Amino acid sequence: MPTVASKLRVKVIFFGRIRELVGRSEEFEEVPEGATLGDLFDRYVTKYPQLAGFRSSLVASRNQEFVAWGTRVAAGDDIAFLPPVSGG
Amino acid sequence: MSYLPTDDHFELVHKPIDVDALLRHVRAGQDGAIVIFDGFVRNESHGRPTLHLEYEAYESMALTKIREIGAQAHERFSIDRVAIAHRLGRLEIGETSVLIAVSAPHRAAAFDACRFAIDTLKKTVPIWKKEFFADGAVWADGEIPPAPPIRVEPAS
Repeated sequence: MPTVASKLRVKVIFFGRIRELVGRSEEFEEVPEGATLGDLFDRYVTKYPQLAGFRSSLVASRNQEFVAWGTRVAAGDDIAFLPPVSGG
Repeated sequence: MSYLPTDDHFELVHKPIDVDALLRHVRAGQDGAIVIFDGFVRNESHGRPTLHLEYEAYESMALTKIREIGAQAHERFSIDRVAIAHRLGRLEIGETSVLIAVSAPHRAAAFDACRFAIDTLKKTVPIWKKEFFADGAVWADGEIPPAPPIRVEPAS
């Protein structure tokens, strides 16, 4: 166990209506070790309260794979919160 | 049937999809059928006239997911080759947004695999469609991809 809480740097990528709401396509964020994707999303809800209403319709991805919200973040990850998909 | 992954073709394109080239690609001497799904831009949505569409993708992930669909199609059906192309950016009415072509020795497998491929694409590939109308634009209602269970990973 680390004696000093270290920070993990991750890239967060936004698409569709979430990109429009946040106002950018991607950014780097630092989260405490042990943080989950859900924790990271909660931080965005604090910054952008309108995001709260989207949570139940979003799926999280980590390094181009769908993952559960409880998945822990690792340094260097690409994280995205994906709206319902509508390709085709 | 021997399966050569190199005979499949998957792409995301920012220009018109070359339908004829994809059909030539999947057509081989050992086949007897090709089934094609050509999805193109409809001129209305829920009764409102559509002006045009814009498609956006998480491109690296979308291509990975499309490749997975191709691999699953080979596992499930006795098919020969799969080609899947999805277009991104602005599309006008009538333009092809997605093209899926599946070849097989016999038609049933080609029909089943093509249906499987488009249905799975619509549920699992991170692509988003924005519909533009005379009085504004909206992101289309989509499908929520199935969320996987929590994976316990060793501490690094």
